[in-house]
Amino acid sequence: MSAEDPKPSPGTSGTEMTSAPTALAASNGAAPPVLEAERLVKAFEIRSEERFGRKVPVTVLDDISLAVRKGESFGLVGESGCGKSTLARCLLRLLEPTAGRVLFEGQDLAELDREELRAMRRRMQFVFQDPFASLDPRMTAGQIVEEPLLVHEIGNSAERRAATFEMLADVGLTEEQAGRRPHAFSGGQRQRIGIARAFVLRPDVVILDEPISALDVSVQAQVLNLLRRLQTQLGLTYVFISHDLAVAEYFCDRVAVLYLGQVMELADREALFGKPLHPYSVSLLSAVPVPQAGGRSRRAKRAQPIGEVSSVVDRPKGCPFEPRCPVGRGRDVCKGERPPLVEHEPRHWAACHFPGEARTVAGADRAVQRPNGMS
Amino acid sequence: MSEPTVSGESAANGSVPAPALSVRNLSTVFESPQRTVHAVRDVSFDMRPTERLGVVGESGSGKSALALSILGLIEPPGRVVGGEIMLGGRDISKLSDRSLGAVRGKDIALVLQDPMSALDPVKTIGYQVIEAIAAHEGELRRSAARKRAAELLGEVDIPQAERRLDDYPHQYSGGMRQRVAIAMAIAHNPSVLIADEPTTALDVTTQSQVLALLDRLVEQHGTAVILITHNLGIVSDFCDAVAVMYAGRFVETSGVDHIFLSPTHPYSEALLKCVPNPERLAEGPLPAITGFPPDLAQLPTGCSFQPRCPVGKDIPECQGQTPQPHTVEGPSGAASVECHFADQRIGQVKV
Repeated sequence: MSAEDPKPSPGTSGTEMTSAPTALAASNGAAPPVLEAERLVKAFEIRSEERFGRKVPVTVLDDISLAVRKGESFGLVGESGCGKSTLARCLLRLLEPTAGRVLFEGQDLAELDREELRAMRRRMQFVFQDPFASLDPRMTAGQIVEEPLLVHEIGNSAERRAATFEMLADVGLTEEQAGRRPHAFSGGQRQRIGIARAFVLRPDVVILDEPISALDVSVQAQVLNLLRRLQTQLGLTYVFISHDLAVAEYFCDRVAVLYLGQVMELADREALFGKPLHPYSVSLLSAVPVPQAGGRSRRAKRAQPIGEVSSVVDRPKGCPFEPRCPVGRGRDVCKGERPPLVEHEPRHWAACHFPGEARTVAGADRAVQRPNGMS
Repeated sequence: MSEPTVSGESAANGSVPAPALSVRNLSTVFESPQRTVHAVRDVSFDMRPTERLGVVGESGSGKSALALSILGLIEPPGRVVGGEIMLGGRDISKLSDRSLGAVRGKDIALVLQDPMSALDPVKTIGYQVIEAIAAHEGELRRSAARKRAAELLGEVDIPQAERRLDDYPHQYSGGMRQRVAIAMAIAHNPSVLIADEPTTALDVTTQSQVLALLDRLVEQHGTAVILITHNLGIVSDFCDAVAVMYAGRFVETSGVDHIFLSPTHPYSEALLKCVPNPERLAEGPLPAITGFPPDLAQLPTGCSFQPRCPVGKDIPECQGQTPQPHTVEGPSGAASVECHFADQRIGQVKV
């Protein structure tokens, strides 16, 4: 992948879409948006074997608009390659979007100069998936947590030391442990160090990129509890990236489902998991195994997902999910026209020509999926 | 273990089919001059043909060491120190490396989490599948081998299998690579397949396809599958029996529904309860398991879960005596549980 950012591939700009979900956030009296994406496009250039090694532009994010509100946990879910991590990096401007805007508290990040962007970065932090790769093995836990304070020139050395120990205590690590290097810690403890490093600057927004998926089951619960507690304690806004829908359902207030770089559905947790409108959300949800008795008969009843995710190089012209869709596969309108993201029910957006139909077609309603019923 | 049949079905069934796999008192250690790690401790179980046994537990509980021990793949400083592994009427734990090589991949096979560990990146898929076929069939004619390889890939749903034989692993998606690894593992219709976290690296929709493929394998070839996973949802979706592993032991074995309806060992209960459940959002923080898995070189006396156990933490019996496997009859079938409180707890725990 080269670093050049070509123009978005043709076909991405002609779609009918207002930046509606963004406008919505302000209109319905909910908390104000902190972080907004407006028609965000990110394209890379890759050498494609499918095109005999020629460089082709690949649109990884295709016209994404959404708004993250203050104090919420906003989930980005989807399968690998759907663009969720690229989107997160664009939101923090760790990656430069090809087109579109990112607003932080209403301010366009692209208009900031270096110094302003640096100040802004202090308020937006990132927790990475892999607690083994994301910590410098030569630094002690204390140095790792203190480093952001040094970079941003905050306090004198005594104050920094105090802030570091306080933060480490907050995530359940002792002063004595602050002197140890990452290899002396377990995966869960390393992730706590990663969290402490992100939170020591007292940011407003934290992007959590699969923060628990590298951890053991028993440790996942501890880290989720910690993140919850810190959110309440510090009044934080989270963007929570996950491929695990059960975890997203547990943790997030609102969720956006991404597929091939587009938002397929965006809704409050209860609506999305209880009454999904997009066939992709339906197949994704019904594919999640639930740890309850009777899983085999539940699995026998549900529709098998068709095929695999299409290549971003040969992105379908109409709806990106059409080739795999139990509802729209082969239908002319789905093949030919990309469905706009529309608010079908209050606060419930979906980009589908036949919203809601998949629940009956696939027989994959949550009522079937969850014997105890949550909808 | 007094009642090693995992699903407890054979007792009710008059004519018991010969087990596909029978493991007795298997123990594996990893030794260094300073310490001896007891990774698998005196584990016994039977598997019928077509049985699907899920083995669950935290990392370090000995799940993978168990799989490698059964396959004779434990490498120094580890070694199997005792036990029998009866496969098709003979004890494969006593075989020489060479005779074991003739069994492995033929009668018993392994699929790992990372399909790239089974595939060589610089050889074509076809070459590697043919190699897997030829390993136990001697010389094959080139055209016949290609045909068999294409059939095998077709069986695991690789589209245009014939043409894609000449592709390299990197040209396949993650899900397709895992299906190729499965194709190589099932090339000789093994009677037992051990799958160690086979879907962990895959997306949910792909995971669902791989489970469906394993279904077909069981149904069409009568293969018995040991599925090692940390995901209890997958156990529910695929298995008919489950063994909860802790500190190298099966601490609770039962039919699959039992573990979800009335988990009896406090560790099984804890494992289930720490899975994020949106229906319990209102109940506050997730009940995480406190502490760490025990150091397998210095196991506590008594019950190995006792230091972390909400039930037995301060009970002298739990601290002093190692609980023996104990068969209990619950609302959803029988279970073998290694807990001093099994009789009191059976049917009492709701998750």
